[in-house]
Amino acid sequence: MGIFRYTKLAYREPDEMLFGHAKFPVSAHWGLQFGAGYVVPEVKVAPEAGSERSKEVMVKECESIAEQAAGRAVDIGLPAFLLEQEHVYQQTHFPDWGGACTRAQADVLERFHNEYGIKCGLRQTVGDTRLEERGGLRGTDYDNEIAESIEQCAKNGASDIAAETMGGKSVLDYGSMRGDIRAILFGIGVLGSIDMEYFWKRAVRICSHYNCNPAGDTNCSGANSVMYIAGGLLGKDFSHTGAALARAISAARSLVAVECGATGPLKDCGYENTIVKAICGVPIAQEGKNAVCAHADVMGNLTCQVADVWSNESVFHREEMGGPTPGVWLQATGYEAALMNTAIQTGNAKILRDLYTLTDKYRDPQGTLLAYDNAFRVAGAIVEYGKDPYLRARAAALECSKVITEAYDAKKLMLTRFELDSLNKYTSVLEGLPMESERFIDECMKEYPKRIPTFDPKSYGL
Amino acid sequence: MTLDWESRENTDFVYRRYNVIVEGPAIKPEDDKDVKKNMPPKEPFRELALAVIHGDSDRAREATKTALASTPPLDVIEKGLSKGMDAVSALYAKGAYFLPDVMLSADAMMVGMNMADAKLGKAREKKGTVVSFVAEGDPHDIGKNLVVMFLRSNGYEVVDLGRDVPNADVVSAVKKAKPVMLTGTALMTTTMTNFHHVSDMLKKEGISLPIFGCGGGAVKRDFVESYDMGVYGVKAFHATKLADAAVAGKTWKDMRKEYPKIVGEFVGEYADRL
Ligand code: B12
Repeated sequence: MGIFRYTKLAYREPDEMLFGHAKFPVSAHWGLQFGAGYVVPEVKVAPEAGSERSKEVMVKECESIAEQAAGRAVDIGLPAFLLEQEHVYQQTHFPDWGGACTRAQADVLERFHNEYGIKCGLRQTVGDTRLEERGGLRGTDYDNEIAESIEQCAKNGASDIAAETMGGKSVLDYGSMRGDIRAILFGIGVLGSIDMEYFWKRAVRICSHYNCNPAGDTNCSGANSVMYIAGGLLGKDFSHTGAALARAISAARSLVAVECGATGPLKDCGYENTIVKAICGVPIAQEGKNAVCAHADVMGNLTCQVADVWSNESVFHREEMGGPTPGVWLQATGYEAALMNTAIQTGNAKILRDLYTLTDKYRDPQGTLLAYDNAFRVAGAIVEYGKDPYLRARAAALECSKVITEAYDAKKLMLTRFELDSLNKYTSVLEGLPMESERFIDECMKEYPKRIPTFDPKSYGL
Repeated sequence: MTLDWESRENTDFVYRRYNVIVEGPAIKPEDDKDVKKNMPPKEPFRELALAVIHGDSDRAREATKTALASTPPLDVIEKGLSKGMDAVSALYAKGAYFLPDVMLSADAMMVGMNMADAKLGKAREKKGTVVSFVAEGDPHDIGKNLVVMFLRSNGYEVVDLGRDVPNADVVSAVKKAKPVMLTGTALMTTTMTNFHHVSDMLKKEGISLPIFGCGGGAVKRDFVESYDMGVYGVKAFHATKLADAAVAGKTWKDMRKEYPKIVGEFVGEYADRL
């Protein structure tokens, strides 16, 4: 049976969107709410090198991450925070490791919650250990262990489960390396959407048996990979206009988790969530300037604009001069959230929102796309074709192209020749694509399976 | 939006798009002065090189077909196609070409090279063999795929073991292929430790590779140099220069010391070893 598809936006106009506020707030245990009128800071820290040598060491490691984060939260007076553990391979591959690590962290948070009344949450992001070229994405041992790991985490005290699934990656990688926008659209918009439906129907079902929210799934393997490869202004590996198009496409794909029942807060990393929030009104996590520990982006302030959870990105677990990284980076996101919450409490939130947006709106075409007024337009294009994953992804890309071209023509956004040429080239390819899903898929299936040895059509029921 | 920029000038205090500011005039790649210097002047070689430079696989197929009618396959590769790829590397290194351009050129190069190889009928002598893998438990393979592409299009035979490769498989591939170097890629704190294990296992087998290069997110030079044979690889396109050095007899110890010299550019990660 088909799933529910969005054909309307959650908001009437972009100005209704604001950080700390979601149309459909979410509650979690330990008193935490998302999108309920305040912004929640988040921290995530990667287990140290060598901690994979045994389950006991890994559990201790995760426990100490939780302890250091919670300790700092109380030390600097944070009212609330979310701890996220992005699984390393071993925590998903051995589901009992994932379960035991979750239990250890949940115990720490519960203790702090009971002692200080601090609101906290625990997000477990399972790793997508499936390998398309090794047996495909469905029904393999890898696939089954993910389901089991989700269950272990949900059972052992996670307040929500997130993921960054890799459906469509084989084709997307081919496309991004060659500047082939059709492959990018097929990889993220079609294959990614198909796999999301498979993955999230199951994840939602598992979570429903426990006191645990199925949160959502960001397009790390697409939108974020491409942003990372595009790099800074002087980067020469991928055009920033192309990265903007890929991100617009990824919003149509990441929406599928919500259509399967995910509630948010949607996971950060792909930066597509402003668009998704405009469509479905669920709370979102975002990252930007406080993710500098992990990567450089060119829209560090802008992404605060409508965030409900403000996050860093997995950082080494080690000592900084200011203390262990779980505390250091929670302090960074915590103070930013405090600023946003002060703005909300004093009636200045919309001004702060617009200041955040304006600092980066024309720094880069990716910021132009994500500025909430423009993101809203792209969201509108998606729901216009909401019932068809391919057509809505294509519409998102075309609207993105329009938004960037208008800003360029108005001389607000400057573009290099390379950025402009690639935008024009990609746009004319997109315009020439068929208006029927089946025809598009047929055409792609004639070409990509023979060109991309790791692409396994069976994994998508094709 | 309730706020907006009133005029463009104001933004200069907030951000500057340096890529636009420093952009030079548009020139055809074949008019670049470094490319000009090394372009084969005569046909059919010039057309072969141009097909590669423009990343045009169809043109490369035609040019190779024409060239093979009158020219030995080895010359088609070495005096034509490879010259084109050299130009592409130079353009990429100076920022005139972007990665997708390089990939399309590599595709065109491979089209021509496969046709020439087929005509040759016997295995062509490669510059050397390299084994490439992504560490066990790690799915991050973009960097590794780039390394493989750069090496292949520069005349190396590459045994590509893929991603999430068990350490034992790496060791047996090395024993079988006897490569001039092994490239490992890992991006995570808890998978990069496999490099150390592989190094230990190779040592136990009495194998000493001239170089064991690695790169990636969590991986830092200190870590890679904490075990024998480890050489920290920074950019994927460095792999060809490193392989050339390995073929020329440089050991992993030399490579650690001379990395910036070998790759021929400033490398921040090796700033203390200029
Ligand atoms: C893209 C990406 C992904 C994509 C990968 C897609 C793909 N096809 O590979 C996807 C979505 C699959 C992914 C998944 C995950 N990821 Co990830 N990912 C990244 C990201 C953003 C960029 C990596 C990348 O592709 N870079 C571009 C390529 C070109 O770079 P590269 O491979 O490093 O290669 C360069 C150099 O290293 C060099 N090089 C590489 N090899 C060699 C070899 C030689 C010889 C030489 C000379 C040079 C060289 O050349 C390249 C440059 O030219 C990084 C961020 C970061 N800071 O690195 C996180 C990152 C690596 N991921 C991270 C995490 C946590 C994960 C997940 C575990 C998250 C989760 N729980 O789901 C999962 C993995 C699940 C699993 N199976 O275990 C963390 C790792 C944290 C840690 N523990 O160490 C990082 C650091 C992000 C972060 N800070 O949170 N990820």
